[in-house]
This record gives sequence, C-alpha cells and structure tokens, in this order.
Amino acid sequence: MKIRIINYLKKLVVLFFLLIPNNLHADFFEDITSQIAENPKRLSYGVSVTDINQDGNFDFIVTGFGYLNLALSYENGKLINIVNQKKFSDEFRRTIGVAACDIDRDGYEEIYFLNTDTYSGTKKYSDRLIDLDKGNFIDLFEIEKNQKDLNLTAGRSVVCVDRKGDGNYGVYVANYGGPTRYYEYNDDIIVDKSVQLNLAKVTGGRAVVAGHIISDKIDIFAANERGANFLYKNDEGKFLDVAYEYRVQDVLQNGRGTALSDIYYRGRLDILNGNWGGFHRAYVLKNDIFEDIAKPPFDEPSRIRTVISADLDNDGYDEIFLNNIGEPNKLFRILENGLVKQIPVDIGLEPDGYGTGAAVADIDNDGILELLVSHGESRDQPLSLYKAKVNPQHKYLRIKPLNKYGAPARGATVTLISNLRKHSKTIDSGSGYLCQMEPVAHYGIRKNEKNIKIEVRWTNGKTKMISVKNLNQTITLKQNN
Amino acid sequence: MNFSKTIFRSVIIFILTLSFSNISNSVEKNYYKDLITDWSRIFPDSNRNAAGPKFFKYIIDKDINYEDFIEYNKLYCAVSGSLIDPNSDPDFLFISERGTKNKICGNYYKCCIPCSCDIMKYSEVERMKYKFKDGIKEFFVFTIKNPCNKEDFPNRVNKDYFCDGEKINNKQVYDLNGRIVIGLLHNGKSCRKDDIDFVKSHQITGRFCEFRNNTPIENLEAGMGDIFIKLAR
Repeated sequence: MKIRIINYLKKLVVLFFLLIPNNLHADFFEDITSQIAENPKRLSYGVSVTDINQDGNFDFIVTGFGYLNLALSYENGKLINIVNQKKFSDEFRRTIGVAACDIDRDGYEEIYFLNTDTYSGTKKYSDRLIDLDKGNFIDLFEIEKNQKDLNLTAGRSVVCVDRKGDGNYGVYVANYGGPTRYYEYNDDIIVDKSVQLNLAKVTGGRAVVAGHIISDKIDIFAANERGANFLYKNDEGKFLDVAYEYRVQDVLQNGRGTALSDIYYRGRLDILNGNWGGFHRAYVLKNDIFEDIAKPPFDEPSRIRTVISADLDNDGYDEIFLNNIGEPNKLFRILENGLVKQIPVDIGLEPDGYGTGAAVADIDNDGILELLVSHGESRDQPLSLYKAKVNPQHKYLRIKPLNKYGAPARGATVTLISNLRKHSKTIDSGSGYLCQMEPVAHYGIRKNEKNIKIEVRWTNGKTKMISVKNLNQTITLKQNN
Repeated sequence: MNFSKTIFRSVIIFILTLSFSNISNSVEKNYYKDLITDWSRIFPDSNRNAAGPKFFKYIIDKDINYEDFIEYNKLYCAVSGSLIDPNSDPDFLFISERGTKNKICGNYYKCCIPCSCDIMKYSEVERMKYKFKDGIKEFFVFTIKNPCNKEDFPNRVNKDYFCDGEKINNKQVYDLNGRIVIGLLHNGKSCRKDDIDFVKSHQITGRFCEFRNNTPIENLEAGMGDIFIKLAR
C-alpha cells in the first residue's frame, strides 16, 4: 500500500515538473533600460526606427509632446541622443506620430513628424517632413513651394505607401476630425493627392498600416475611432475602400494599435487590430472575408496603444506585444493553427506604465530584437528598454530588403519558406499606432528547421527568391531596376 | 487505494487546466462580441433607429440552438435598436397578447427606461414556434403592425429595412402573421394577479409609464421611443 502511494506521488512530481513551467515562469524579458544614457521623465508618443545619421545602423526616433524629439543611437553599449538641431528636436510642436521612408528617392529616409496640438479638428502647427541635407536637418514643409497643402488638422498616425510600386513613397496621414492627407513628392514639390486617390475621408483616424494585404500592390488598412475602419485596395495606384466587403469595418469599436502578421504561418499577411476598451481582433483572410479568430485572453478589452508582432526570443514563433496605457502590458505567442498563448511576464508588465508607443529593432546588432517603450499622455515617465532572454542555441536570420533607390523597401513582404513553415513578415511602413518598426524581417529559427529559402515580394508585386545556407546573419537584398 | 487514485486524477486535471488556461482557444461563446462584430452586416447603412426587428431576424437566421437564441436576444433593445450591455437587468412587464387580449408577463431587455413603456403600449405579443438546432421551441415575441402603408412613416427609420413596397420585407425582418417581430419577451407566461400588481406598482412600469404613455407624442423628449412610436402606432 505504502509503495503504491509512493509510486503515485513520484508520478505526480514528474507531471508537476513537465506541466507547471507554463505557470511558474522565468521572466521573458530582461530590463536593459539602464542602457539609455539620459532618460528623464517626459511625455513621449510615437517611436520609429530608421538610420537617421546615414551610418548604416538603425536608430530609435522618439517623439516628444512638449518635449524634445530624440534620435537614440547605439554607441558603446548606450543609447545616446545624437540630434540636437532645432527643426528635428522641435520641443514646441507636440509631435505624436512618426514614420520614415524615402520620399525624394535619394536612397535615404525622410522622417514625417505628425504634430498635434489639439485633440480633433483644426490645429495650430503643421507637420514636419525632415530631410538631412549636408549635415543639417531641414523641414521640407517650410520651403515655400511646399506650403500649399500643409496639414493643419489634428492627426494620430502616419504610414508610408509606395502605391505604384516604383519606389516613390507617399505618406498617408490619419487625421482626426478632418480629411485624411496623402503627401507625395512630385516634380520636386510636395502635394496632397488624397482627393484624387479617393483617400480624403473624414473620420477619427487612429492607426494605419500598409502592405500586401489583399492585392499584389500596397493596400492600406486604417483603424478608426467613432466610425468604420477603412480597407483600401490598391487599384492601379488609386484606392477603393472595401472594408465592408471584407468585413473589417468594425463600426462600434475604436481602433488603436494595428500590425500586419502572418497569424497562420501560411505565407500571407493578416491583421492584428487592437481596439480601445473593446475586443482586440485577429483578422485572417478566408474566402475573401476577414474572419476574426481572436479569443480570450487575447481579445479581452484593454486600454490598448501599440500592437507589435515580432519574434522577440528567436524561437521561430512571433510574439504579440500589447502595449497598454494605465494598465499592465500583455505578451502572447502565436502558435500553430492560429492559437495564441499568453506569456506571463513580470518584467515589461509595467502595471503603472502610461505606454504611448513602442518599437522593435536590433539596435545593438546582436541578432536579438530590443523593445523600446515610450510613455506619457497623462503622466510623464521615462522610456523603457527590454530584450528577451534568449536561449543561446537559438539562431536567427535577418532580411533587409532595399528598393531600387537603395532605401528600405517599406511595404515589401518577406517570406521564410522551410520544411516547417511559410512565414511572411512586412517591412514595416508604419504605423501600428503612432509607431514604426525597423525595416528588417527578423526571424528566429525553429528547432530542426532546414531547407530555408527567402522570398521577397517587392512593392510592385514582383518576387525574388534566394536559398539560405548560413544563419545568424543579416542578408541585404536589393531590388533590381 | 481508490482515494489515492481520485487525488491523483484530480491533481492531473488541475495541472492540465492550469497549463492550458492561458491559451487563446477557448470555445466559450461571446454573444455580445458576435453582435458587435456583425453590426455592419446587420446595419449596412449604420442606421439602427427602431431597428430591433433587424436584430431579431439576424439572430433567428443564424444556425443556433435555443439557448443561443435566448442569449442573443438579451443584447439589443427591440424599441430603439441599440445594443445593450451584457449582464443588464431586464424589466418585468406585462403586455397584451394579440387575439386573446390576455396579459402576458415576462422580461424585457431595454436600453433605457422609456422603452419599457413604449413596448407595453405600442406592441403586442404572439406565440411563435421555431425549429432550432436542438428542436422546435415555442416562445412569445413582440410584434407591431405592418407600417409600410403609413403616410407618416418616420423619416429617421430606414424604410427599406422593413418594407418591400407596402408589404413587409421578409428578407430583412421576420414576418409573423402579417406583423413584424421586433424582439423576444423572455420567460413569457400568462400573468397572475400578483404579477400585474407588481408591474403596476413598480416605479418604472407603473408610475413612470403611466405618465409617459399619457404624454402627447410631440412632447416626448426622452429616449428613442418617439421614433418607434411613429413607426408602431
């Protein structure tokens, strides 16, 4: 009798150690905030990742609302602000949205700062479009010829769109209480083409993303507040709103953080869409209709801001980071067949954090993504920086597509094809809510994964395929003319 | 020994439950989320004024069992067409049964107080039988007369939702014996005397409704009911 009871207890102990790690967790993140050299309390909003000083390395651009816009560059183990020029830092215009892309086709990205000095409707100060000219940051909107169509409406997010697939990026500005703007650089002048492209709708614009969503060209999904979402199908460079047909209008929800993500690991981009105090969506395309497959705990309402989908721990499965304001953040992992599993975290939870933005980038070039979280709005707080605790045996592969002008091919889709998956990622155009990720497709490699190929679908719909033999590297792929 | 086995099994179940509790594949139904998700399909023009019948038709056309039908019908207001927060409390009221004029008592889920008064005055209930996935069930539904030949059809209501010419548009709303079904009376039953006394003495269904239902329509200022009244009177 006693021996049998002992045997049962042994089995229980084995089961305990097999199954309980789901709940008694080691922390997913490591807090590396101390790497930010100067990190005072401030009101920050959107974060973007671009190579601000054209040195070949990415930098975090952090907007300030009544505070300086920052360009945090990684130098000697620290993130240091490297720009103190007035046009860029611009303490007084209250910047909240930011996105970078090569608007003038010189191979380097300009930075669109969306300024908002009022909640809705007409604002006092226009936006800035920052270009680096012989070491000086200039605002292209301050040049007289570009002042005809200034954006003087409050807005939130901006996204870069290569609508014709020719490397000529425009900027979609999601305004609030006024018409959407779409700026393009034509004949050396910045013009608003929103009306002729069928984009000049008035709504409560919040988040906007662009990529290969439903066509071979760059489509746009805009998550709005107090009104239907927009899903703009690219129709030879113009746009047609098909949100109703694709069932993503979601009229009663108030859109926030949105990201393109391959939720089924099937080689296409679907949509993760957070809603403020509402149900978060995981839209997957089935028979020309987006079906929301989100279930608790992922879909549970929260005060959501930025949504990020990225492989933070290099295990080959994407995480979803939900950045909430005034309540704890959440972290999930996308498993096979659309299952989404919550990852318990203590570090990075930020129960008292007023998160307003977040972005990922491998800022220190070690093959692991860093996650920068900004805070503000109703409480001044410093930035946070996290990095996943990665199993040293995990390998990675980073794909950096450049367009024919040598600029990051924002909006292109990279797909990793192997014996285990067909996994697409977007080269982020912005603006999962005010923010924009690094223009690299970052993959962790799964256990026993082999026969890896990479396909890039460029913004014009054409594709390029390569085989990959060596891991733990960043591969730069250049688009042919 | 049996005791040990029981403990062993219980612990395994507990651990498995813990292990999978944070996986987002729960099959628990969220009726409210369903209605929010499909709202644009129910109201393509975003006009839900007095459009409780659209909700009823959308719900009954779903391939569902009777319990689902009941739960969905707690989440919209038959009078205004508004969604109702989950876990809202209904008003207990009585209403006249069409044909018999018997008083039928039951629960009505409303968006706001005046709607209880309006539904008591301007609608009737009828028995309805319907085959769900789990069999044929009988229940009481609120109905209003065919409004399609009204000269003063309220202009804030989408007439196409209700009417195909002078006929009820049975592709959009449910036609029961030539009347439009606007919603479900929950737990409907013939009233007992104490039920009627309760309704009449209740501060809403009694005193407030008496006041509201004796106020000329042009003086009504509360609720969406004035639109509904113009449709249903």
